[in-house]
Amino acid sequence: MTQSPTRARPARSVLAGIAAFGALGAYVLVSSVGLGLWTSLGPGPGLFPFAMGAVLAAMSVLWLLQELKRPSTTGEGADGGLVLAVVVSLVLLAALLDLLGFQLSMFLFLMYHLKIRGKRSWLSALLTALAGSVGAFYAFNYGLNVALPVSSIPVLNLIGL
Amino acid sequence: MDTLNELLNGFAAALTWQNLIFAFLGCLLGTVIGVLPGIGPVAGVALLIPLTLNMDPTGSIIMLCAIFYGTAYGGTITSVLLNTPGEAASAITTIDGHAMTKMGKAGAALTIAAIGSFVGGTIATLGLVAAAKPLGELGLLVGPPEFFALMVVGISLLVALAGKSMVKALISGALGLLISMVGIDPVAGAPRFTFGMDRLLDGVSFVAVIVGVFGLSEILSYRKGESTVVHAPGFRSLLPTRNEWRRSAPSMARGTGIGFGLGLIPGMTGSVASLLSYGAEKKFSKHRNELGKGAVEGVAGPETANNAHANAALIPLFTLGIPASPTIAVLMGAFLQQGLTPGPTLFTEHSEIAWAIIASLFIGNLLLVLLNVPLVGLWTSILRVPAPILTALILLFMVIGAYTINFSVFDVFVMIGFGLLGLALRHLEIPLAPMVLTLVLGPLMERSLRESLEISQGDFSIFLNRPISAVLIALGLLIICSPLLKLRKPKALTDDPET
Repeated sequence: MTQSPTRARPARSVLAGIAAFGALGAYVLVSSVGLGLWTSLGPGPGLFPFAMGAVLAAMSVLWLLQELKRPSTTGEGADGGLVLAVVVSLVLLAALLDLLGFQLSMFLFLMYHLKIRGKRSWLSALLTALAGSVGAFYAFNYGLNVALPVSSIPVLNLIGL
Repeated sequence: MDTLNELLNGFAAALTWQNLIFAFLGCLLGTVIGVLPGIGPVAGVALLIPLTLNMDPTGSIIMLCAIFYGTAYGGTITSVLLNTPGEAASAITTIDGHAMTKMGKAGAALTIAAIGSFVGGTIATLGLVAAAKPLGELGLLVGPPEFFALMVVGISLLVALAGKSMVKALISGALGLLISMVGIDPVAGAPRFTFGMDRLLDGVSFVAVIVGVFGLSEILSYRKGESTVVHAPGFRSLLPTRNEWRRSAPSMARGTGIGFGLGLIPGMTGSVASLLSYGAEKKFSKHRNELGKGAVEGVAGPETANNAHANAALIPLFTLGIPASPTIAVLMGAFLQQGLTPGPTLFTEHSEIAWAIIASLFIGNLLLVLLNVPLVGLWTSILRVPAPILTALILLFMVIGAYTINFSVFDVFVMIGFGLLGLALRHLEIPLAPMVLTLVLGPLMERSLRESLEISQGDFSIFLNRPISAVLIALGLLIICSPLLKLRKPKALTDDPET
């Protein structure tokens, strides 16, 4: 019987994923018991989540066993810089949306992605950012009757932002 | 005769200028989504749901359906011209479609694809017309236990067919169901998994979740150097030769049959339909030795199958309320947002809306042919827009889409969170399709389970005592246990990029 000298080990990210799903399953199992599995009228609010928690926990264990036996492949890693830039800019945009209003916050967001990250020319970046912020605001508010937020700062609100 | 009358009434409603504009806009937007490689039909349809919330239900669903089948055609354009499938179901078309472009026959390839899509889509819609009444009436006989069992089968099929690992697909399915359970419990009224946040009492917005998991995670997973170089294709003529028409006809017939049949089965995506159709061409076409070198059959078959599938997949949705694929699940979510429950009751409670939508499918399929071929230059010019501008604009629409569903910044944060979750799921190779399906079906499934158990006063044997539900539950179990029974699935299903 031959065995390969360097036996492949499960990737760390896979083990972390399994642990996360296992923990989520266990949390759901415990909290759904608290919600009540059965009432005098029949099934309680916790019954269905309990079943799903059980599936999640059981599958995590099965996946771990499979990984230990034969490690699976993972998808290609993402570009960390891009993930950080997109996620942080989106979080900032969402945080400022009600404060600065849609037009100003979206203008800044688009300028960051077009000028700083995308390295577009000033003219192209400005025109696209204006169309995507001020243009979209008016198109949605007046064209589609969908109200996008205005600034909660009185001065900005007064000038229509 | 009744059906014909109702269909004619449907045409009268669908042909109002307002609904025609919605169908036209839907075809345009769908084609754009199909052309753009970064955004697939699932996220595309979800993203545009908020735009339709202020419309009347008929117009809104007409537009979303048009977006849905518009994407099927849009993906073809880039497959043929650029060798880059705009969406997964058109991947196989790149082989012969792009080879035809290199031979200067891009126009003919696109026209054949458009006509094939029209033929497949129209025949599948005729199938929907024929099946609507009888299946709808059958569906009305279905009680909560049968409905629950039917959903079990639907989800089992998608789980079993999605990706390489059943374990991972089950995790994805369970995750979707859990997300759908956040909020006030539908029966007892108790808050579940809300973590004390009032905003979660109404549940998590499925649009925000889907846009995050499918759309944002796609952008986050871009890697450096992935940019498309667009060359203007050479068109000698848009019209195929007589010989090309003659060769395409049998392929279109085969594609229609395959696409229609697979569209009826939950879990079978458009990609599987187009792959199997290509396989059929390899086996049965008279010119099979030319496949791979620019044979028109390699475009006609898969493209017809893809669109026949897209339209046939609406049959289980309209008649039984079961979404057969992730995109249809999103469409079902849109129905629910508009207060329409797809399924047998749709034809009794909202008959005029249902028939207007069906009539609009015929009109939309015709619009696609009329729009797409002459405007092909416009579609390719979209791809000449530099990548940073496209990415920024897609992010803009994602934020607007997530925000406007409840006019709340909270949903934008939900979208960002689920974008990161989607990225992790992609990295771990966990299929996303079961999650979307269970996310939409979760509340319906739970309600029918609990109603069944209330009828039986808590006795689970109700699912086994009723013949239809017993057969369906057995079928579902068989599907889930298929790996234990060493049942192999065909390679086309294992490698399905859509799941």
